[in-house]
Amino acid sequence: MQNYSSLQNSKRFSRFNFKFAFIIFALLFIGLINLFSATHGVSLGHNTRLFWLQLIWMSAGWILFLIVTFIDYDLFKRLAYAFYGFNIIALIMVMLVGKTVLGAQRWLDLGFFRWQPSETAKISVALVLAKIFSEKSYPNGMGVKDLLWPGVITLIPFILTVRQPDLGTSLLIIGIAVSMVLFIKVKWSIIIVLLLGGVLATPLVWNFGLKKYQQDRVMIFLNPGRDPRGRGYNSIQSKVAVGSGRLLGKGFRKGTQSQLEFIPERHSDFIYSVLSEEHGFIGSVFTLGLFCILFFTSLRISYEARDKFGALVTIGILSFIFFHTFINVGMVTGILPIVGMPLPLLSYGGSSLLTVMLGLGIISSVSYNKYLF
Amino acid sequence: MSQYVSNSQTETKEFSRRYLFFYVVVTLAMGLLFARLWHLQIISGEELKNFSDKNSLKKTTTASPRGLILDRENRVIVDNLPGFMATISPQYTTNLQELAEAIHPIIKLEPKDIVKKVNQSRRRNGPFLPVSIKKNLNMEEVFRLKRLRIDYPGLDIQETIVRSYKLSENGAQLFGFVRQISKKEIKKFKKKHKNILFEPGDIIGKAGIELTWETTLKGLNGADFIEVDAKGRKTYKTNSKFLNIEPKPAIPGKSLVLTIDKDIQEAALKAFSRDDYVGDRVGSIVVMKSNGEILAWVSTPSYDANNFSTGISSKLWSQLVNDPKKPLVNKVVQDHYSPGSTFKPIVALAALQEKIVNPWTKVYSPGSYTLGRGTYHDSHREGHGHINITEAIERSSNVFFYKAGHTLGIDRIHRYAKLFDLGVKTDLNIGYEVSGLIPSKAWKKKALGEIWTPGETVVNAIGQGYVLTTALQMAKAYNAIAQNGVVYQPFIVKKVIDQNDQVISEFEPKIIRDITVPDEESGAYIKKEYFKTVQKGMKNVFQGDHGTAKWYKIKGVEMAGKTGTTQVRKFSSKNIYKKCKERPYKFRHHGWFVGYAPYKNPEITIAVLAEHSCSGALGGAGTFKDIVNAYLKKYRPDLFAKSQGKKKGGT
Repeated sequence: MQNYSSLQNSKRFSRFNFKFAFIIFALLFIGLINLFSATHGVSLGHNTRLFWLQLIWMSAGWILFLIVTFIDYDLFKRLAYAFYGFNIIALIMVMLVGKTVLGAQRWLDLGFFRWQPSETAKISVALVLAKIFSEKSYPNGMGVKDLLWPGVITLIPFILTVRQPDLGTSLLIIGIAVSMVLFIKVKWSIIIVLLLGGVLATPLVWNFGLKKYQQDRVMIFLNPGRDPRGRGYNSIQSKVAVGSGRLLGKGFRKGTQSQLEFIPERHSDFIYSVLSEEHGFIGSVFTLGLFCILFFTSLRISYEARDKFGALVTIGILSFIFFHTFINVGMVTGILPIVGMPLPLLSYGGSSLLTVMLGLGIISSVSYNKYLF
Repeated sequence: MSQYVSNSQTETKEFSRRYLFFYVVVTLAMGLLFARLWHLQIISGEELKNFSDKNSLKKTTTASPRGLILDRENRVIVDNLPGFMATISPQYTTNLQELAEAIHPIIKLEPKDIVKKVNQSRRRNGPFLPVSIKKNLNMEEVFRLKRLRIDYPGLDIQETIVRSYKLSENGAQLFGFVRQISKKEIKKFKKKHKNILFEPGDIIGKAGIELTWETTLKGLNGADFIEVDAKGRKTYKTNSKFLNIEPKPAIPGKSLVLTIDKDIQEAALKAFSRDDYVGDRVGSIVVMKSNGEILAWVSTPSYDANNFSTGISSKLWSQLVNDPKKPLVNKVVQDHYSPGSTFKPIVALAALQEKIVNPWTKVYSPGSYTLGRGTYHDSHREGHGHINITEAIERSSNVFFYKAGHTLGIDRIHRYAKLFDLGVKTDLNIGYEVSGLIPSKAWKKKALGEIWTPGETVVNAIGQGYVLTTALQMAKAYNAIAQNGVVYQPFIVKKVIDQNDQVISEFEPKIIRDITVPDEESGAYIKKEYFKTVQKGMKNVFQGDHGTAKWYKIKGVEMAGKTGTTQVRKFSSKNIYKKCKERPYKFRHHGWFVGYAPYKNPEITIAVLAEHSCSGALGGAGTFKDIVNAYLKKYRPDLFAKSQGKKKGGT
């Protein structure tokens, strides 16, 4: 018994995916250094508290990550609908009593913490869809009938976040669902119908579904030079910041673009431009490389998962973090339109960080619990 | 590997394929981002780095005033006046059309012209250089525009310095004018003056003294770099330690003290507009002190240089350029003319020195001179009878100089004329000076490929034909005659002073050569006694009974000079004595008068050239007299009183 227990203990450590945790740690560390630079610029002495707040969120994030890791993720499978339902109620509450920041209602003020339910909705959708898909087998691919209920599950938070308005998050929820469906296997006819529907729906969505500022964002993405002092400004300044870093960067806290407020939201959505400007191509590629390893490790964890739910939920969360990373870096480097989407682990923000750490914790848990015994 | 308890074997295979698909998608997406980073940071990195440098550092220029131009008594001739200018910074303008429409009612410029101007500058100079929209704003415009600035951060009111020319049209070609430097000129100037910074927006001299003395007059703009945020606002800390840029103080330009006397300058222009003058006043005057200091410099018609300071309209510019009377041309040095009879004293000195005549030799003039098949007319149809050299100068006999010139030959005339620096640039470096021409046999062979003919010598001996001189050259040569052969270098800048009136450099009169001493190169010289002979003849131009300018005497003050009337085209013998005033304007003779005063101990030399004024006496002598009077009144009150007193006694 004594022997078995010690064996269990040693196994407990060896089962913990240190590689995965180390990559997260490295990215958080880079994020912290970078945030220090972004918040200790020459012109905003008062914002230095963001750095310390982020440090607190990180600690909380690690605690959450570790707790979730050591919980058998079967619990999440069982509580998936509860999470989801709670999240939907929170989203509806945001609409009714939420804080309006920067023209959008996204937060619920919980006193100690402003919760952004649209962030956690991404995880909730991944959990519910993983639960639904894992309980059935689709040897011939999913048909229309099979997609009905998952479709409803996806569309509810989608509609609620579009109304906030938060186009980025709502599209991301769709993205997570589509990734998971593609992973399971879906009939070709449905893919074709959805693609066609999407193409036909675009002009309708453009005219009736999008607000003016959303239309503007897309237009400016297509031609940022059109109005450099106005709406395309962010995109140009961000590109200038990234490019001006050249190979080695301007050095820590020496990025003129970011230090002198040419970059808006540089501590959150545009944090990557600070990194690129100050640490150059080397620093940017190194950081993006860490994300790459994070994604590949997650794919491996999914592949090695003990059951279908574990594999699927990992795919769902992976696609969430992957889309965030790709869209954020794409936006900062000017290949994608400006949408309010933070860079996981690097951008300042409690909601985003805790959500990402929760998601990564679930993946870590899938890795930790990959053995049945 | 994977062990889904509830899954079938086929599904596991399917999953493996899905994973491959996801690996590929992730790899491609990340690859795209890496490629984009490579493109931005490595390929476009340099360009974006430059952009970001300009982005955060706003250069503020502290304007340095251009040096002033003062007359010999430190009276300001060219001044700097404060002015206000409206500018638009493309960088900080979001809606140019709207801004243009907003300022339209205030400054009365068409919105579409404003938009065009700003966009043009934006293309040429980039968005960072403020575009000047209107200069010389009045106070009301300044206040109204300043109110608009709240809504339009791109609009700015800048203090400027407007160059002001106190004498406006008088001497405009001498003082020159200024304009904003062009992009092409920046390149040119950077090559030429390595130590001086020329930047867009700089005001530079474009003509006259403003151009010649550009590097002295131009101040060095100071620069300060302030860090600005995206909205163009100054940040809390400027010149922060991590950029390490020191501000550069402005260095004001140095001022010039000229040899010009404002009073004489004004008197000269006034003297040019005498009532007895025929036709338009087109021509030039140069008044020189006997040591080479230039007291006055007039070229007419002229232009108001103040028009250039505030940006000349293209209409006015083309009007000036196309005016047949060439107001932009500095006729004192930039145009050369046949000196006509004013050349005779030079030929006389050559003839005396070469012993072709002596002071007493009498030459008979029957009214014309025949050489080969050519007949050359005298200044009077009847001729002058038996005359010696002083009488020949007094009466301006052509035949005397035909004969003397013929015997001398063109090369000897050339040799002696060169002693006076005729046909040679004066090194004054004002305007694009022309050299004029004193022909020689070698010159004609080289330039025209033809052999010199004796008939040409005859014509050139009376200052016609190929001989060409500028007014300044004539003043310089006559001053040498007045000074018994001492040639002084004409000069116009006495001192360069800094903003605290400290003298930086001072220019002294310079003797180029003494003609009574054999020349180093040619060995030619002229004895002092021959100068006395010629001077006497020139005195008699006023004092003698047959003097060609005897009507322009100043009582009690003897003067010396020579009239010159030059044909602008050949006339038949029938027409040659026809009344000049009856001819069309452009066929009328040019009139020269070059002389000095007083006869004893000369103090000033004056050259007057009046285009198409029919004769030297009519066009120049009166002007000469008036200028001498103005000079005496100011500098020789004793002599002036004498002349006035005698006059009063006479009436």
